Amino acid sequence: MNIELTLAYRYLGGRKLRTFLTTLAVVFGVLVIFGMNIILPTMIESLQANVQGASGLVDFSATHISGEPFSISVADQLKNADGVRAYSPSLTRVVNIPADFYDDDSNQPDKVTALSLVGVIPEAARSVRAYPLVEGRYLEDADTNAVIISRTLADSLNAHLGGTIRIPSVDGTTELTIVGILPARTSPGNEEILVNLPTAQTITNQSGKVNTIDIVIETFASEERRNEIQTNIQNAFGKNYAVGTQISADTQMFASLQLGQAMMNLFGVFALFMGGFIIFNTFRTIVAERRRDIGMLRALGANRKTIIGIILAEGLFQGILGTGLGIFFGYFMGAGIVKAMRPMMTQFLNLQIGEPVISPTLVIVSIALGVGVTVAAGLFPALSASRVTPLEALRPSANEKLFEGRAGWGAVGGAVIIILTLLAIFSGRAEFIMPGGFFFLLGLVLITPILVRPLALLFGKILALFYARRGISDLAQGNLTRQPSRAAVTASTTMLALTVIIAIGGMISSLTFTLYDLIRANLGSDYLFIPPSIALWSSNVGANKDFAEQLKNIDGVDEVSALRYSSAVSNGQLISLLSMDPVAFPRVSALFFQTNIFADEVSAYASLDEGRNMIVNGALLAALKKNVGDTVNIVTPDGSFDYRIVAVATDMLNAKVTTGYISHDNMKKDFGVQDDVFIQLNLKKDANRQAADAAIRALSANYPTFKVISGVEYYNTMKSQLDATFSALYILFFVLAIPSLIAMINTLTIGVIERTREIGMIRAVGGTRKQIRAMIVSEALLLSAIGTAFGIFGGLYLGYVIVIALESIFPLGFVFPTAGILIGIAIGLIFGIFAAFIPARQASRMNVVDALRYE
Amino acid sequence: MSNIQAEKLTKTYGAGSTKITALDHVNITIKEGEFVAIMGPSGCGKSTLLHLLGGLDKPSEGHVLIGGHNLTDLNDDKLTELRRRKIGFIFQFFNLIPVLSAVENAALPVTLDGVKPAEANSKATEWLTRFGLSDRLMNRPDQLSGGQQQRVAIARALVADPELILADEPTGNLDTRSSDEIASLLRDVSKQYGRTIVMVTHDPRIAAYANRIIFLKDGKVVDETLLEKKNGKNAEDVMEKMKQLGD
Repeated sequence: MNIELTLAYRYLGGRKLRTFLTTLAVVFGVLVIFGMNIILPTMIESLQANVQGASGLVDFSATHISGEPFSISVADQLKNADGVRAYSPSLTRVVNIPADFYDDDSNQPDKVTALSLVGVIPEAARSVRAYPLVEGRYLEDADTNAVIISRTLADSLNAHLGGTIRIPSVDGTTELTIVGILPARTSPGNEEILVNLPTAQTITNQSGKVNTIDIVIETFASEERRNEIQTNIQNAFGKNYAVGTQISADTQMFASLQLGQAMMNLFGVFALFMGGFIIFNTFRTIVAERRRDIGMLRALGANRKTIIGIILAEGLFQGILGTGLGIFFGYFMGAGIVKAMRPMMTQFLNLQIGEPVISPTLVIVSIALGVGVTVAAGLFPALSASRVTPLEALRPSANEKLFEGRAGWGAVGGAVIIILTLLAIFSGRAEFIMPGGFFFLLGLVLITPILVRPLALLFGKILALFYARRGISDLAQGNLTRQPSRAAVTASTTMLALTVIIAIGGMISSLTFTLYDLIRANLGSDYLFIPPSIALWSSNVGANKDFAEQLKNIDGVDEVSALRYSSAVSNGQLISLLSMDPVAFPRVSALFFQTNIFADEVSAYASLDEGRNMIVNGALLAALKKNVGDTVNIVTPDGSFDYRIVAVATDMLNAKVTTGYISHDNMKKDFGVQDDVFIQLNLKKDANRQAADAAIRALSANYPTFKVISGVEYYNTMKSQLDATFSALYILFFVLAIPSLIAMINTLTIGVIERTREIGMIRAVGGTRKQIRAMIVSEALLLSAIGTAFGIFGGLYLGYVIVIALESIFPLGFVFPTAGILIGIAIGLIFGIFAAFIPARQASRMNVVDALRYE
Repeated sequence: MSNIQAEKLTKTYGAGSTKITALDHVNITIKEGEFVAIMGPSGCGKSTLLHLLGGLDKPSEGHVLIGGHNLTDLNDDKLTELRRRKIGFIFQFFNLIPVLSAVENAALPVTLDGVKPAEANSKATEWLTRFGLSDRLMNRPDQLSGGQQQRVAIARALVADPELILADEPTGNLDTRSSDEIASLLRDVSKQYGRTIVMVTHDPRIAAYANRIIFLKDGKVVDETLLEKKNGKNAEDVMEKMKQLGD
């Protein structure tokens, strides 16, 4: 081993605790990034497996870009397409199966949570793929309610040839007779059930519609010819149809997952950044501590490269070790979360999650980030170490002046940045405020070194009032300000951690202020009829309008309002459209309005029935880059239509999905949708609630797709879920604050090592162990107080920025995060005391004679 | 390497009213194989002179010639190479790397020069054995006494076969017995191996082991004394000389 590696290895081994703590920072960052990035690919693969299962092994599949059904006549365009051997139009749809639908046992996990219903024209379907039946016969044109299922499904439902299976339909349920059984299914994804096209159309209320055309092309086509045929097919259908080898994963789901992953990645990068900060600080102190060693090495003939090599080799060791452990533990975390999510995803999203997926890119990126950040963090201290002349290093005091000059310029820059970011707040313009979040923190980091001294003085005086009297506080304050840059970097780490906690506190305060009102207004009706999947409307089989009509006729029912769903495309963007009855909806529910071209909300609702008007949520408005009053063009399988945006408003369930609200009439006219996917109901004030409840539940039994739940119950469930989410967020960000604790322990420990002789001297002249402990604890408290003070400012600014960012999606105003600040201060204090524990113990237990001899 | 020459060597710190002249136009010549002690009161410029002779610091004026090389003309890389191959250093506080063993510490200059570890360690072992540390080869500095640590440092200074050894208060941190051992060792090194040694010390007893003493005061050479060969027993003569100079 060469001298750089030998020394790096030995130095790391010589300071085991510090090595452990700094490596822990790297482990933590990599763990979060690696672990969290296992989850999304796993879910995507599961989604794709489901979709691929449906698409089979045909050459191409064509769908409308909106994903919505279209007239079967569209398939005729392929009649004369060059190179097409056969095609089969089908209506393929995921049908969510409500909980306990087949086993009626809530204690047993459901074996089947979703099915892929495939409605085909029997002969056309056979022309594009084979159906090797193991029992029974294939579908015939004259069949009604006949079904072919796989052996696996038959086994799990305990069904047999000639028997029946039930599935949810818009009429409640439909019973299908099993006429054929396919071999056991080996591929992942939802089980497919094959029916005649008219049967599928009846079940889903899509008369005359198909949504997929499977195509096989001439055999042995070269790659070039294949592409040519694909172009022919695309030209035959036109630009509003997607022709591909695979249907894309559910975009709605994908968007939600991506958002989650982006947040977690941000969290991971932040954690790693904090890790980098700690490593940077550690290496700086290492360089300071080893000045004499470095000087001696230089005197003995070590050149600058060798010195850089030693420091970087240490970084490299720690980076490799930390990244390796981070990936190892990250895998278990990711796999653990995937495992924990499995039942939830099955229950709420009807998604079967497979084994954890790890892409080579993720491994490479994690290694690059983990090792890269560590080495990069060590680079600056390594360079500064290499610039030290042998003489300077042998006389350590020669360097203090250098810092003062640098800190001065940094502080001026920091002050200017802070002033500019404050001006950005007063400008009220989001485009200035958003980047301001980052720059404000940068300004604070830059200004910290120059404020360490006065702040330490101020907090030291306060501290002396109730702790560390008789000059101990002065000593602590003096020790801290001896190395202001080191103290500043440590305080900055604490600041960043607390900034995030307080900012999250700010966001939660602001959210809770409006969120619970929104839930109450939006979902506070007496009854809610909830489909199996509340986020992914497209996979729910709704109910035809009879259900709502019958509900309305129940004695004691005041009003019933239903939502209908269709996806569509506007400006190349896939969007969700929900329709409502503009009269009934406001009577049982409410949207939360942000902007409105009318004087009141009633007029906005009413306008939905007057021509093609649309209310959009903040997410859609932002995605379309439009303003209220503008017109947007919406593409459907039946043509494209211009809708005018009359207001911006949001509801609780669709806040993060790009959603537009239109009337039922327009939904029927332009999108051909008439089935309800979500229903709300209010009783009359004087209604006989018990009788009404019985009648409602009896009727709902015919429509098992929907779960009937009271508004109060739902509100309480949502509230407890939100509370749990917020608590989890706090915990998550508390964990993020741990690296700052490591930084503090590091700084204090190094301070103790450096001052061994002084501590020995204090003990020699009569200082007690208790006083030594108090001195170190005071230092820690001062350090954390400075970090906390800056953290409060940073947190307030960042919290404001988050609220401004969320405002575009969600209507909320900034609320001062008193709770967040109190939590931040508590964490700061606790960390201060905790960080001092090891170094204080170490300092107070020193042997006086040994300490005085220490070099 | 032949003689070492310092011509009009001057070193100043600060400027204006705070200007301090640590060395003031010092001219000295040290012959090959000579053991020279530099003495003088605190702050007289002893260590500064040593640092300039070793290329650790740059003079404000004048120059140092070692083996025909003018140190002021050498860039950092060349100076580093010169230190590595031609000069050995011994410090008051030993300055051993705490995480390396005695043999690894002693081998450091040759290891830094790219010599294979086995070869470097064997050279270091040779020196350490000569200095009576054969049973301490694998000990870390904190497992050695002060005198033993300084012997490791001397072995380190000799391992690259340098022609000049600069020692800055090599006994300043040792007890009397260890100090005598080290001074005697340095004298033997000079005598037996023909090395040129320049040693800074304020201890007349230790200086008495040298062949010649250069006295500095206020940054200037005030006297040079060639000592009689009395095997280090002429400390009283040195003290007498110091008294005279002090007055």
